[in-house]
Parts: sequence; C-alpha cells; structure tokens
Amino acid sequence: MADDLRSIVLPRHRHLKWKTFDPLEAILMVLCGVCIFMFTLAVFCDVVTRSLGSPWNWLQQVTTAFFTWGVFIGMAAATRRNDHFYLTEITKRMKGLPRSVIETLNRLIVLVVAMLLIWFGYQNAMLDLGSFRMPSLIPLTWYTAIVPLSAVLIFLFTLEQLVNGWKHGFEGPEDMDNIVVDEVVAPVLGASK
Amino acid sequence: MIAMLNGALSNGAILVLMACLFLVFGYMGVPVSFALIAGVFVAVQFTPISMQSMVGQLFHGIDSEALLAVPFFLLVGELMASSDVVQRMIRLAQTMVGHLRGGLAQVVTLFSMFFAGISGSSTADVAVLSRTVAPQMDAEGYDRAFIAALIASASTMANLIPPSIMAIVYGATGNVSIGGLFLAGVVPGVLIGLGLMVYSYIWGPVGIRKQRASFAEFATAAKASALPMVIPVIIMGGILSGGFTPTEAGMVAAVYILLVLIPIYRPRHVFELPRDFMHAGLLYSLPLAAVAAASTFGWMVAFLRGPDIVSTYITGIAGTSGPMIMFSLVVLFVIVGDFLDAVPAIIIFMPIINKLTEVGNINPLHMGVVIITTLVFGLITPPYGLSLLVASKYVGVGFGRAVVRSLPLYGVFFLTIAFVVLFPDIVLWLPKQLIPESVGCFKAPSGTGYICPP
Repeated sequence: MADDLRSIVLPRHRHLKWKTFDPLEAILMVLCGVCIFMFTLAVFCDVVTRSLGSPWNWLQQVTTAFFTWGVFIGMAAATRRNDHFYLTEITKRMKGLPRSVIETLNRLIVLVVAMLLIWFGYQNAMLDLGSFRMPSLIPLTWYTAIVPLSAVLIFLFTLEQLVNGWKHGFEGPEDMDNIVVDEVVAPVLGASK
Repeated sequence: MIAMLNGALSNGAILVLMACLFLVFGYMGVPVSFALIAGVFVAVQFTPISMQSMVGQLFHGIDSEALLAVPFFLLVGELMASSDVVQRMIRLAQTMVGHLRGGLAQVVTLFSMFFAGISGSSTADVAVLSRTVAPQMDAEGYDRAFIAALIASASTMANLIPPSIMAIVYGATGNVSIGGLFLAGVVPGVLIGLGLMVYSYIWGPVGIRKQRASFAEFATAAKASALPMVIPVIIMGGILSGGFTPTEAGMVAAVYILLVLIPIYRPRHVFELPRDFMHAGLLYSLPLAAVAAASTFGWMVAFLRGPDIVSTYITGIAGTSGPMIMFSLVVLFVIVGDFLDAVPAIIIFMPIINKLTEVGNINPLHMGVVIITTLVFGLITPPYGLSLLVASKYVGVGFGRAVVRSLPLYGVFFLTIAFVVLFPDIVLWLPKQLIPESVGCFKAPSGTGYICPP
C-alpha cells in the first residue's frame, strides 16, 4: 500500500476516477517535484551567490514563485488523490444512501468553493496587474494566477469524483484503511524500504 | 448580496457562524482547507469585505519566506528515510540505554530525541519507530498498547526539539524569532523525553534485560551514525552563527543528505530521487494549503474583533496575570488540539494569542513555547491524536486501548506544560544566551553586552 501511495498516478479510489485525467495527475505530481526542486536550487544559489559577495536578488522572487505555485498545484493534485487533511473519517464508515448523500454534499461544498475561487481568484489576479514585485517589477498576477488555475483543476477533479461516485457508488476497498494514517505515513514508509 | 447581508449579524454571531460552519463541514468529511474557506466565504457575506480580498489573503497567507522552511524539513525527513541511516541511530541508542530496565522503551525515547534533531515531523518519527523497534518490543513481550502509546508520546518531541515545523509556522505567523522558538523548545522536549524514560524505568514493562554495551561497541555505533548526527549541528550551527536563516538551514541539511549521505549509504537510491521530490512536493502542499486557508480564517477572526471578545472573556476568568492567562490558554488549546490539527490551530488563534500576550505582558517567545508544548500534547489525545492514531494503526492495536495506556503518560505532559509556564527563566535561558534578540534583548549603547527585559 505504501508503494501505491508513492505512485505518480494513485491506483486507489479507482472507481471515482476517469482514466482520461490520469495524465493530468501525473503532470501535477511531476510539477510538484519540479517546484520543490527548483526552489531548493534557488535557495541554494541564493546562499552561494550571497556568500561570494555578489547576491542575485531576483532569486528570492523565483523562490517564492515556485514555493507558492507548488502549494496550489499540490492542492489540486491532493484533491484527485484524496490526500487532503480531514478532521474525521466518519463518512468512510457509512454505507448505502446515507453515504452517497453525505459524500455528495461534501463534494458540492468543495465545488462551490472551487467556483468562487475561480471567479474571485480571476478578479483578484486581474487587480494584481497593478501591483508589482520588487526588484524586477513583474506584476503580482504572475504569482496569484495560480489560485484560479488550481481551482479549475480542483473543480474538475471534484466533478469527476461526484459523477463516478453516483455511477459506481462512493464505497471502495480503501474504506477499510485508516486514511489519515496512510496518507501521512506511507510516503515515509515507502521510502525507507 | 453583500449589501443585503452586511450588518445583519453582530461580530460575535458572525464568528460563531464561521466557526460552526467550519466544524460542521469538517466533521462531515470536507477537507480541512475547503471547510475553512467555505466558513470564511459565508462569513464574508455579512461584512463589507470583498471576496477578491479574501482570495488574495489565501495567497498572501503562504507568501512568506519563513514558511519555506516547512518543505525543506519535510524533504529532510523524506530523504533521511531514503538514505537508510535510521538503523544506525537506533543502534547508537541501544548501546547507550538498551541495558536499562525497559531497555527498548528507553531506546524508543532516546532515538526519538536524536530523530527530533533532524526531522520536524512527529508522524515521520512514528512511522520509522513502528517499522523498526516496535516489532522487537512485541517479540520481547511488551504490551502493544504500551508500545503505541510510548512511540506516539516520544514522537511529539519532534515538534519541540529543533527543527520543529510547528515552531516555523508559529514564528512565521506570530512574528516571533523561529531560531528563538527552536532553542526554547529544547527544555520541554528534553523534559518530555526524560519523563518518558523515568516512567518506563519505574512503571513500564521490564522487557528483556541486556548487558551494558562496552565502550568499543558504543564507539563503533557512534562512528556509524556520525554522518547523520551532523545534521542537527548544521541546522542549529548555521542558525546560531548567523550564517543561515532557518529556511536556508533546512535547504543545507537537504543538500547535505543529497550530496553526502545518499551517495555513501545508499548510492542506488539516486534513481529514486525524482520520486522523493515529487512526494515531498505533494506532502508540503498539504499543511501549507491548510495554512493558506487558516490564514483567511485568522484574518477574519481578527477583523471581527475576535481577539477582544475572547481576551475579555479570558481576562474575566484569569485577570491580567501572565501565568493565569497562559494556564487558561493551555486549557483552551488542550481542547482545541483534541479536535483540530496544530498548524491551522496556530494560525486561526494567532490574533487571540497576540492580544493575550500583550494583556498579560508575557514574553512572546515564552507564550510561543507554551502554546507549542500544549499543541504537541494534542497529538496523543482523542479523537484527533494523529501520532497515536498512526502508532496504534501500525503497531496493530485498537485506538481505544492505546488511549487508555497513554493516560499515565499524559502526566508527563501536564508536568512539562506546568514547568514551561511557571519557569520562564529556565525555558528561555538557552535563547537568551545564544540569540538574545529573540527574547527582546537589545544591544547596550556601550556596544558590549545586551539589555534585556526583566
């Protein structure tokens, strides 16, 4: 199971997924890796150039760009992989119609939040065309545009789960697992093999 | 809609509505980040605040250089597990305390102290111990519920002994020195460790008594784990020398593992590194998504004058005495920590913490370490004790039984929290010596020494 969770496209919750979106999940996971690698590299270069006495100030902008984009890309990827933090797993113990109703409600809430993030995130990004980041003076929009973009993906993935949940049922073999445990720990366990 | 609903509810009512919506959505099974944002979006309708500005706050909540340290310390944990050095550190702990009564229980606690100096994540500690020492303890006849309780309790030290992800989040959002919080966490971290060792020695299972390791065995084990044990030196040395910020120290530790530990201990793992990065990339986005959402929630709490409402209530009970205010917050955060993850809890309650720090004339660093120590206790309390959930799952024992076996260990945490509240001079001694500015000291005009607040 731990190895499964380290897969680029998660094999779990298959009944809630369309194969068409698998490449998208793979791309998002690769982008997550690229973001953390790039801002690690940027901080490394920042320390090195500063130690050499000729700091590249623009590196800090690169760092924060990859960092913030990474968070929102990860947020979208986590939506498809059902990897977000949850307060409870009560729904996983439910079956039949009550389960479908609660799962549907949960996803409708996420869909509404995603729609609001798309619309107001877009407006916010447009407003940010008038705000600039020092020292390169690039518009803040380059940073904040990721919010509506991520929300579009969150909307798509939630819709995918909703449609497939109604088609095939929300219950799956993964319900037997302690999701909180697996999501947090499995990557570490997989890596330590 | 804004014009229609603006002013329809009092600030207090909006706060209650926002909090209730978050809890209802969260306990229905909506992911924490979305439950927080949903609560905020509804609350915004009753205020003159625009939705765009709240979406902007979502972004600005994570647009912080200090928070960059979080992914680095998660990456360090991921890479440490990959570089196969954990067994070496366990062996070192065995040569040091394996001969004592309850030897493997002592090893669990000491190893957790070592690991806490490298990783800032309690769950990584639980994962490693559940896989390595727990089966040995089971074979030696230790009660599984005790194994889970001890591993979970010991893992909490990862969030106290530097580097600590909770300290990074607290420092970044509360404008408190992260280096200072790292150092101030040492005393409660070590106290919890010692408390667990004393408990295991006196009241814990005996286990199989082993011979004391010879000095040669200790020296061999120390040599074998010398390279990974350099990491805490790199992290704290870099920060204390002023060479690095906590973020840069995390990066240097990650680069050290990539360029030194993995090539030496597990060269073939180089091909797995892209996967490590992808997973570390996903892993860091999870708490930071919660940070982003919680920052909008915290912003609304501040806007709605939540700090004034709560501080009036708390000072009504505790007065303006610093220790009484801190004890009141301890009670509040023990309850909060039972239901909510520590990271969003810190951010949501930060405006209230700041207000009460001011009212009680408390050193912000002292308040920070009290809150963090209280929140780590939430990792082993039901119903949302994440470390205990993880440990009981992997040790193979019911969560309820693990909770019952944890109850005596709660005493260690209560004593530690009380100590941290009542003896600020001892807790803040280390940061005062090494980073005086972090406790509010400033350089004397004469140029020699520091002038510190009483």
